[in-house]
Amino acid sequence: MKKQFLKAGWLGLLAAGILTHAAWGQSDPTGKRRVTSTYAITNATVITSPGQPGSKATVVFKDGVILGVGSGIQIPKEAKVFAGDSLFIYPGFIDGAGNMGITKPKDPERPKDFVSSNPPDEIAGITPWRSATEQFSASSSQVDDWRKAGFTISQVIPDGGMLPGKAAIMVLGAGNATNLIQINSGLAANFRGSRGMYPATAAGVMAKFRDVYQNSTLALEHEKMYASTAGVKRPQVTPTQQGMAAVVQKQIPVIFTAPSDLEIRRAIALQKEFGFKLILSGLENYETVIDLIKSTGTPVLIKLQVPDDKAVKAQKSEGVTEDTKAQYARVKEAYENALKQAAMLEKAGIAFAFTTIDAKAGDAMKTIQTLVKNGLSEKAALAALTSNPASILGISRVAGTIEKGKMANLVITTDSLFKEDSQIKHVVADGFVFDFEVKKKAANGNGKTDGAPAGSVEGVWEYTSETPAGSSGGEIVLKRTNGVLSGTISYDDPAGSGKVTSPIKNASVNGKTLSFEFDVNAGGLSLTVSITGEINGNSMEGSLSVPQMGSFPVKATLSSPSLSN
Amino acid sequence: MNKLNYLLAAFVGLGLSVAQAQTPKGSVLIKNATVLTVTKGNLENSDVLVQDGVIKQIGKNIAAPSGVQTIDATGKFLMPGIIDAHSHVALDVVNEASSPITSEVRMKDVVNPFEIGIYRALAGGVTISHAMHGSANVVGGQNATLKHRWGAKDPADIIMQDAPRTIKFALGENPTRVHGRGNGIQPRTRMGVEAVLRNGFSEALQYKKAWETYNAAKAQKGNTVTPPVYNERLQTLADILDGKIIIHCHSYRADEIYMLINVAKDFNIKKLVFQHTNEGFKVAPEIAEYTMGASVFADWWAYKMEVYYSTAFNAAILQRNGAITSINSDSAELIRHLYHEAAKTQRYGGLTDDEALAMITINPAKQLGIDDKVGSIEVGKQADLVIFESHPLSSYAVPQMTFVDGVKYFDIKSDKDDQRQLVAATEMVEPIFLRANEEAHRCMQDVDAYFEAFQGAFLEEKH
Repeated sequence: MKKQFLKAGWLGLLAAGILTHAAWGQSDPTGKRRVTSTYAITNATVITSPGQPGSKATVVFKDGVILGVGSGIQIPKEAKVFAGDSLFIYPGFIDGAGNMGITKPKDPERPKDFVSSNPPDEIAGITPWRSATEQFSASSSQVDDWRKAGFTISQVIPDGGMLPGKAAIMVLGAGNATNLIQINSGLAANFRGSRGMYPATAAGVMAKFRDVYQNSTLALEHEKMYASTAGVKRPQVTPTQQGMAAVVQKQIPVIFTAPSDLEIRRAIALQKEFGFKLILSGLENYETVIDLIKSTGTPVLIKLQVPDDKAVKAQKSEGVTEDTKAQYARVKEAYENALKQAAMLEKAGIAFAFTTIDAKAGDAMKTIQTLVKNGLSEKAALAALTSNPASILGISRVAGTIEKGKMANLVITTDSLFKEDSQIKHVVADGFVFDFEVKKKAANGNGKTDGAPAGSVEGVWEYTSETPAGSSGGEIVLKRTNGVLSGTISYDDPAGSGKVTSPIKNASVNGKTLSFEFDVNAGGLSLTVSITGEINGNSMEGSLSVPQMGSFPVKATLSSPSLSN
Repeated sequence: MNKLNYLLAAFVGLGLSVAQAQTPKGSVLIKNATVLTVTKGNLENSDVLVQDGVIKQIGKNIAAPSGVQTIDATGKFLMPGIIDAHSHVALDVVNEASSPITSEVRMKDVVNPFEIGIYRALAGGVTISHAMHGSANVVGGQNATLKHRWGAKDPADIIMQDAPRTIKFALGENPTRVHGRGNGIQPRTRMGVEAVLRNGFSEALQYKKAWETYNAAKAQKGNTVTPPVYNERLQTLADILDGKIIIHCHSYRADEIYMLINVAKDFNIKKLVFQHTNEGFKVAPEIAEYTMGASVFADWWAYKMEVYYSTAFNAAILQRNGAITSINSDSAELIRHLYHEAAKTQRYGGLTDDEALAMITINPAKQLGIDDKVGSIEVGKQADLVIFESHPLSSYAVPQMTFVDGVKYFDIKSDKDDQRQLVAATEMVEPIFLRANEEAHRCMQDVDAYFEAFQGAFLEEKH
């Protein structure tokens, strides 16, 4: 693994060389060379840090560093310019502790004289000398998934036993770079014992932790004596003790995985005994220890997931006894409380962050939205994704907000981040721009930036839609003026009989997908209805969605002019 | 007690109340009960006044100080909280079975205050349990003495902080099976068990010496003595040799019991209690003379070869030979009716009421080193109390209320169907079947992995 990492490092250097020495005049055989490393996103709604109201601004970055944010920023002539008019820009998300892109190293072979009561450290999962950099690959699909979810930095944790090794802070930029921000940023630890050998249980792990810690302290003492006094026997520092040195000297934190309240108490108890720096990670059930977290000032990384709702959903409403109903109620209460925990942390004034370990990248925003629905403020949610982890990891100088001089790590969304329909369209990590397909159903763009050839959707479309109230339909008229798509739509008057017509807004074509919105006045209530459909020749199929009512199938055909003409 | 001792006691008491400031202390006046003090006889129609968790007054016609709740116990029996000297309730881990000596392991690290077993024990009148490491190792981990303050969320709040340290030892089939037959290392026989003990204590002496040498040298100028390797395993054994820890040793056979007595004599160890001790009746005078006694089952044996030679008269024989004797549960089920278990010593051995009740109160308190604080109803002791309907040694006895430090944690009248503190958000609610849990005894919990390679070679029995 180490060799691969070195190789990746070389590749990274090579790639960097190509990028910065465009004057070489050589062709790029990989075809991956960027035309420019300078970008400008103009006139987007930029939220520079949690709690800031978004304001229209232009963001310019070069070689992975933000050159400027604001209005009236000069755009360098070599910059690739994106029109950001309809887009929202947030600081790139930071994962407080993750295992994306980590491959567990092979277990070493057991020696012939192996005794399970006294196994070598390496076999017993005590490998503090290892580094996550040796196990990490930036080109892993997990890294792609998390980047797609908005994550631009992860503190990756090595895989292993009770002391698997040192974490490293990685930027999730191009797969062929080293991506390292900080090596040895913390020592990973957990209460997991080794199977069938010492230490096998949480009780054994705690005892062994004390042993390792104390002897690492003594080894340093011995080394100091050896350096200053003649006649002292040669110190024989083990790799474990060497790997622990930065921890016992309080230079780096121990990142203890402690999902439950009891494990949190155990980690804090060890911290109190020895006084090392501590970060708690992987928190799941912590309602009962919020005061303790607060009073000890321990930084916490909570899991970016909510409990499985399978048990709650499996509860039957009929044919169960009162006893069972009472049990159901307790499970339901526990489930609801679990969703409120993050909000409780916020209320207690704890600047928590997230860990992506055990979480699904695809569910990340849904999880955040669930936490927000359960009382977490949007400001605190954004802080937990950006400025809080930057501060916990000690990288606030370069990450966590959108500021001149910080790393170009951005999340660019189609709408305000916390809106349900909002989607991540681009992620900028280390100054590299990653584009993601935006799902059809979301309306986006303003007709200016869509890439479809003008005229392909212009004309009169006859449509029908199926709703529970029955089938209805009308005409959609689309035309393009100065590249901007606009038009009207007619439909059955919800207030009476006959047809009414509304203007179309936010119309755009993205590939084969047409989407637009229009406002309907239904008895004094104004609803924004959106239609998204896929165009195939003269016909379109898609859905019509009405807020709070759901989406319904819609079909349309182009009646004039016909494309086949 | 002379004046100096009084002063000292007051001082120590004060220190303790500061240290334990966080655990709840209650005040209550229990009126007109038949008070079974255990150590000072029975008092008819008497009152017990508790203030701030401590028994303040025992007598007749005591008036309740303002703000103190009165409980009418007319026709009911009041006894000291029951103490179980052998339990594994409220532990997340029982066995760190991976080494023949694991004295560095602490059960206090893995106490789980949410376990429902605590509440069930309270419903059986048990206020203190000795949460022990399992019996897989010759020297197991250090135990925790728990006070059943149900509802506490911090494990520290149910650990009896003023109880002395205790440690688990185990002789015979369990350690020889796990380490000898299971793993191919010493001990494979009872001789090996003794060797592990003697080697361990001898190493502990050397360890202690090494640190004494280093500590004496390190302050001197030009010192070249380097710090020895830290080893909490040996340090704990050294603490045993220094009398700081009470040994509680899992044992069955008379020969192994006598062996440990001899080892203890050789290393000048005085604080020793035998657990299970089914053949204790054969060496009762020796146990009485040299140790802090035996903690036994009332009538439970024949679950493996070394536990065949047993008798229900064991407790009575030990008691009448002058050994401190207690009856324990080692079980989340038996712990709920230890008063019945104690009553069996009257059927088998004809012990008096006080002798039988002492088996589950003051005697286990002595074996845990807490008899100056709990185990009887005396002025100045911690107010761990149980109110019974019927005499506790009667077949009809039913605990009504259980107090720890004067705080009521169980009341049969407000006993809800679901007393769990914690329910998992992901719990699938399944139909409940009433049947005995065959795995209730946890002496050999967490040991399964050691047997996997040897399946079939061993009996399933795990006690």
